[in-house]
Amino acid sequence: MTETTFPQCRIVTHRLLNPDTVERLLNKFFNIHGIRRMVLNGPRLPTVIPSGPSKGIPNPHGMRRTITVGNQELTLQVHVGTILLELENRDAIPALKNACDDVFTEFPYRLSEGRYMKTEPTLVDYAKYGPNADKEMLGLADPSSRTGPIILQGTK
Amino acid sequence: MAYKPQYGPGSTIVAANRRKQMDPSHKLEKLRDISDKDIVLMMGHRAPGSAYKTAHPPLAEQQEPNCPIRKLVTPTDGTKAGDRIRYIQFTDSMYNAPCQPYQRSYVESYRFRGMDPGTLSGRQIIECRERDLEKYAKELVNTELFDPALTGIRGCTVHGHSLRLDENGMMFDMLARTQYDKKSNTVKIVKDQVGVPLDTEVKVGKPMDDKWLKAHTTMFHSVAGTAFRDDAEYIEYVQRIHSLRTKYGFMPKE
Repeated sequence: MTETTFPQCRIVTHRLLNPDTVERLLNKFFNIHGIRRMVLNGPRLPTVIPSGPSKGIPNPHGMRRTITVGNQELTLQVHVGTILLELENRDAIPALKNACDDVFTEFPYRLSEGRYMKTEPTLVDYAKYGPNADKEMLGLADPSSRTGPIILQGTK
Repeated sequence: MAYKPQYGPGSTIVAANRRKQMDPSHKLEKLRDISDKDIVLMMGHRAPGSAYKTAHPPLAEQQEPNCPIRKLVTPTDGTKAGDRIRYIQFTDSMYNAPCQPYQRSYVESYRFRGMDPGTLSGRQIIECRERDLEKYAKELVNTELFDPALTGIRGCTVHGHSLRLDENGMMFDMLARTQYDKKSNTVKIVKDQVGVPLDTEVKVGKPMDDKWLKAHTTMFHSVAGTAFRDDAEYIEYVQRIHSLRTKYGFMPKE
């Protein structure tokens, strides 16, 4: 589970982000030292329509694209609107702000510091995922999902 | 003195737009010309050019009971022909969309006959006889009640009303029923309202600009448009209704 001492940030933009913008931003973040974990949040873009009269047919979507961050390929599963970050220490925050200022030129954003990731599993987490759930993923993504987190090897 | 409907309170542009849209004597401004075929395509209930399916024989061919109401009410074309009931559903973004669910139901009740509007928080559905529906849908899409970027024709998976717009200014749509072309600044519909891809795309034209949207919206928004708190008359009216409704059980007397 998350160490309570690690600072966390949340970036909320005024618009939902196009994949190109996410790619540009994450590549800037890639070069910043001290980012431990990051979550891209937003409404989901499934590959297949999950419900309704056309359930089961493919769902091509312009905002679901594979982007390249550093040397890793990453397929977006959401239309990114919020980014949560866990940092080694607060020193990385000015660099994050600079990166955001460079990328978000057309619309405003807000970068706030606080606690945005779960620190303890809840009863519902226990009921849903059992006692052996991956604690790093709890509250961020479905720990029982077959796709794990993407690991970006930084420059540290 | 003959009764003259007031349609709604308010002194802001939003309130004035609401009244204007509801008033059947006000002709809605026509902004685009979507053909009958394209309307049929985007709703996805029947193939364009195919016959209307029926729920019962035409009224002229079936025996009607001796009912005074049936004598009073003239049936619509769809009812006369015995068409089945179909629907169209709209989602309106809260970022200054020209219409919104409650408003739509009022507008349609004042302007159209023989249809059943249903208002939900972020979407609004109309059900009626198929050929009447096509006529009404055409008016709803071709006039100032519709914006290609901020209004969605969505039979299911309607989520988008309260979400932030994307970078292109389009309302979120999980099923990507519309596509924005940056080069030509136009929007085309590529899937029908339940997400089945169309054989031919339907061009619905340019999204309206921010200035137009601010001047024509019927939605209050404190950040993107006109704030509700700026309309003292509206607030007074809503507070009065709220107060009377709350006191109703105690027989309010003004």
